Amino acid sequence: MQHFTIFMDIESSRSYIDELYSIEDMKILDALIALKNSVIGSNRQKSSVIQQGIVPRLLQLMSENHWDPNIRLEATITVGSLAKGTPENVTALVEQGAAVTIVDLLREVPIGTKLAEACLCALRSIFLNPPAPISSVPAEMILLTRFTQIAKEGSPTSRACVVRILSIWCGGPIEQEALCAAGACSAVATLLAPKGVTAPPIARVLPALDLLAAMCFENANVSQVALNTRYGDKTIPELLTLLVSRDKPLPVAMGAARCLTFIHRAGALTADDNRVVFGALPCLARLCTKDMPEDIRATAAETLAYLAEVDTSLQRLAAISNHLMSSLADIVTCPSAAAKQGAFKCFASLGANDEDIRKRIIETHGLMVHVVNGMNNPEPSVRLAAVRCLHSLSRSVQQLRTTFQDHAVWRPLMQLLNDAPGTELLTVGSSTLCNLLLEFSPAKEPMLDQGAVEMLCSLTKRPEAALRLNGIWALMNMAFQAEQKVKQRILCCLGTEQMFRLLGDGDTRVIMKTLGLLRNLLSTRQHIDAIMGEYSSQVMQAVIVVLEGSYPAEVKEQALCILGNIGDGEKAKDLIMANEDVLRKLVDYLAHPESKLQEAALFVAGNLVWRGEAGCAARQARLADLGVLRALKLLRQRQDAAHLHDKVKTALAQFNEFT
Amino acid sequence: MSLLCFLSKYVNILLSPLLLFIDYLISIWFYLDYFNRITLNYIMSFETAATNGNDKPERKYYDRTKSDDLQISRTDMNMLIMNYLVTEGFKEAALKFQQEAGLQEPALCSSLDERIMIREAVQGGRISEAIAMVNALHPELLDNDRYLYFHLQQLQLLELIRAGRAEEALAFASATLAEAGANDRNALTELERSLALLAFPDPHASPFADLLLPSHSQKIASELNAAILKMENQEYTNPKLCSLLRMILWSQSELDKHNVKYPKMTDLANATIEQPK
Repeated sequence: MQHFTIFMDIESSRSYIDELYSIEDMKILDALIALKNSVIGSNRQKSSVIQQGIVPRLLQLMSENHWDPNIRLEATITVGSLAKGTPENVTALVEQGAAVTIVDLLREVPIGTKLAEACLCALRSIFLNPPAPISSVPAEMILLTRFTQIAKEGSPTSRACVVRILSIWCGGPIEQEALCAAGACSAVATLLAPKGVTAPPIARVLPALDLLAAMCFENANVSQVALNTRYGDKTIPELLTLLVSRDKPLPVAMGAARCLTFIHRAGALTADDNRVVFGALPCLARLCTKDMPEDIRATAAETLAYLAEVDTSLQRLAAISNHLMSSLADIVTCPSAAAKQGAFKCFASLGANDEDIRKRIIETHGLMVHVVNGMNNPEPSVRLAAVRCLHSLSRSVQQLRTTFQDHAVWRPLMQLLNDAPGTELLTVGSSTLCNLLLEFSPAKEPMLDQGAVEMLCSLTKRPEAALRLNGIWALMNMAFQAEQKVKQRILCCLGTEQMFRLLGDGDTRVIMKTLGLLRNLLSTRQHIDAIMGEYSSQVMQAVIVVLEGSYPAEVKEQALCILGNIGDGEKAKDLIMANEDVLRKLVDYLAHPESKLQEAALFVAGNLVWRGEAGCAARQARLADLGVLRALKLLRQRQDAAHLHDKVKTALAQFNEFT
Repeated sequence: MSLLCFLSKYVNILLSPLLLFIDYLISIWFYLDYFNRITLNYIMSFETAATNGNDKPERKYYDRTKSDDLQISRTDMNMLIMNYLVTEGFKEAALKFQQEAGLQEPALCSSLDERIMIREAVQGGRISEAIAMVNALHPELLDNDRYLYFHLQQLQLLELIRAGRAEEALAFASATLAEAGANDRNALTELERSLALLAFPDPHASPFADLLLPSHSQKIASELNAAILKMENQEYTNPKLCSLLRMILWSQSELDKHNVKYPKMTDLANATIEQPK
C-alpha cells in the first residue's frame, strides 16, 4: 500500500498535524518529516497547512530550547519550505511572527550548525518576497556583527544566505552605516576574492555585489571605507576590477560595474581613476551591445546613465565607446519598460553638457520619434525618462531651431505637464519648457493655446523652490520680445500680488528671474507705455521695494535696469519724474561704490535726460535740481569709473543747454 | 578455494568492461586530437598560398596502426574515467579503479552515497522514498525546481498506470499533478501525454509507450542527479566525457558545413570511424 502514502489531500494531512502535539518526541519528529515532505513542492499543500493554523506550533518547536535538535531542525526546514510558497503564504508567516522568531534564534544558535543554516535559508526565502520584513532585523550592533561573522565563517550556503538577506535589508543611510560599522565591508571582500586561480562561485558573488552596491549607494563614508578594505593584498576596487572582465558571467560583471559606479558617484573614486575609466565604463558599454540579453542591457544602460550623469569627460568617453550610441538606439526599441527607461536616461546623461554629443544623439536615426512616443508611453517611469532625454537635448540652441520644430515635441510635453504629473516630472518638464520657450522658438504661439501661461503661473505658487524657479524663468523667456497680447496675458494671469510675493521669495534666483520677467515685459516703447498705463503703481512699488530692501547687488542692478526701461517709454518717463523718492535714490546710486550699480543708474539717467524726447528740458532741469548733474560730473572725475566715461559724456552732453 | 574462484570471477566481470571502456576512450581521444589537426589544417589552408615540396606529406586519414607524435597522457585518461564514475554514482567501481590505476584520493563528493541510493530508488520505482531522501539531503531543491518535482510525481503516476490502477492514477493526478500542470505549459503537455496512456487498453503498445520504458526513469534519475550536484556548487553536473562527445558531434557538423572530407565517426557507441569516399 505504499502508493497511498503519496496522497496528500487535506483530510490525511490533518492526522499528522495532530501528531505534532503528541507527548512522544519520536512521534513529533515523524509527523514533522511527513509534513515537510508533503509541503515541499506543492503550493496548495502549503496554503492548506498554514490555513489549518500550524505555524505557531512550528515556531514553538523551532525556538524552545528543550526540544530535541532534530525536531528543531525539521521544524525550521518546514517553515523554510512554507516560505517558498505563494506571496500570501509568506505574508501569513510574517504576520504570525516567523521572521522575528528566526532572527531571535539566530542570535543564540552556534554559527556552524545545520540549524543556523536552516534558519538563514528560511529567512532568505522570506526576504525574497517583497515587501521584505525589514523591521524584523533591528539595526543593533550585536546582531549585525553576528551576521557579518556568519558571512565570513559560515558554511557556503549560510554565507550566501546571510549576504542576500542583508542586501535586501540595507535600504537607507542608517542601515548602511550600521553594516559598515559591523564590518560588512571586509566580509564582502572575502566573498569577492578568487579561490586560488579560479573565480569565486557565482552563487556567493552575486549577493555580495548586491550588498556592496546597497551599502555604497550615495554614502561617501561607506564608499571610502570600501575603498580601503582589503582581502589579502587586494582592495575592494581591485577585486571589482577583476570581476568586470569579459570572461566573467554577465550578471557578475554587471554587478561589479554597478558597485564601481556607486563608489565613484559617492565620491570615493575620481572620474579619471583607472578603475572607473578602464574598468566600469567599458564594461557597461559592452553590456549594452546588441547580443546581450535584454534585462542586462536595461540595467547596464541605467547604470551608465548614473555613472556619466555629471562628469563631462566620462560623457565624452562613453559617447565614443563601443558603438554605444547605436546600442542605445537599439535598446530604445526593446519592448520592456525598463529597457526604454534605461536607454532614455543614458541619452539624457550623455547629452547633458556637450554640444557635439547632443548633435550625434539627435542624428541617431529615428530617435526623436522614439522620444515623442516615449512621452506617450503608459509607464510613468518611461515618460519621465523620455522627458529627461528631451531636457538634455533642449539645451542645444541649434536643435531648438530645427529638429524640435520638425517633431513638435512641445505638444506631448504640454500634455504631460497638464496631466497632474508628479513633482519630479514637473521639475524636469518645466525646465525643458523653459528652454523651448527661448526667443528663437516658433513653438511659442501654439503653446499659449495649450494653456502654458496658466500652468507656469501655477508653478510659481508651488512650495518647491525648483518649481517656482522654473515657472518664473519660463515666463521670463516667454515674455522676451513677445507680442503685446502675450505680455498682457502673462501679467494678467500672474497678477501683481503674486509678483510681489515672488519678489520676497527665499531663493534669490527666483527674485532675479521675476525682475527679469519685469524687464522683458517692459521692453519696446509701446509695450512700456501700455503696461505702465495700467500697472504703474504696482511696478514702481516693486522697484522701490527692491531698491530699499537688503538685496544683493545683482538684484538691485536688475531693478535699476527696469527703471531704465521705464525711462525709455514716452509717457512712462513721467512716472519716474513724478516720484522724488526714486530720483533721490538714483543720485545715490550714481555715486555707489559698486560698479555695476553705477552703470545701471547711469543707464536710467541717460534715458531720462535724452534730448530728442518731448519735455526733456523740464526733465533735465528737475534732475539738475536734485543733483543728478553734479553726480554725473563727479562720476566723470572718478578714475575707477573709466569704463563708463563715454556714457557719462553722452549723458552730460544732453545737458548742454545748462552748462 | 571456491571463494577465491568466485572472487576472481567477480573481479573479471568488473574489470573487463572497464578495459573495454578504456580502450574506447583511447580511440576517442586519438580521434579527437586528430580532429583538431584536421580542422586547423583546413583553416590554415586558406592562409598559406602554396606549399613547397620540403613539407612532410600530411597524413590523409587516421591510421591507428602507425605510431606518431600524438601524446595522450594516461593521467588525463584516468581522471576522465574517474570523473565519469563518480558523477554517475558508480562508487564501488570508482574505488576499485582508484586502487588499480594508483590514483590519489579522488574528489569524491560527500553526497556520493546518497546520490547512488536516490538514483536506485528512482529507477526502481520507489519515488516517494527518493523524494524523502532528496528532502533530507537538500530541503530547498524540489521547492526551487518545481519542474523536476513534477517529473518525479509524473514517475509516480506512471508507476500506477503501469500497475494497471487506473482510478488511483486519476485521483493522484488531480490531487497533486494538476497544480504543476496549471502553472507550467510544458508540464501540462507532459501530463496530458501521461494520462493519455490510460485511454489505451494496452499502454505499452500506445504511441506514448516511451514513457513507460526504463530509459525514461533513467533520464529523470540523471536529471535529479545533476540537480543535486548543481546544488552542491559542482561545476560540471554532467560527466566531462559527455562534453567530449558533444565536442566531436559539433566538430563534425562544422566540418560538414564547409564540405570537408574527413574520416567521420558515425557510431558514437562503438567509436566506429568511416573513411572518406
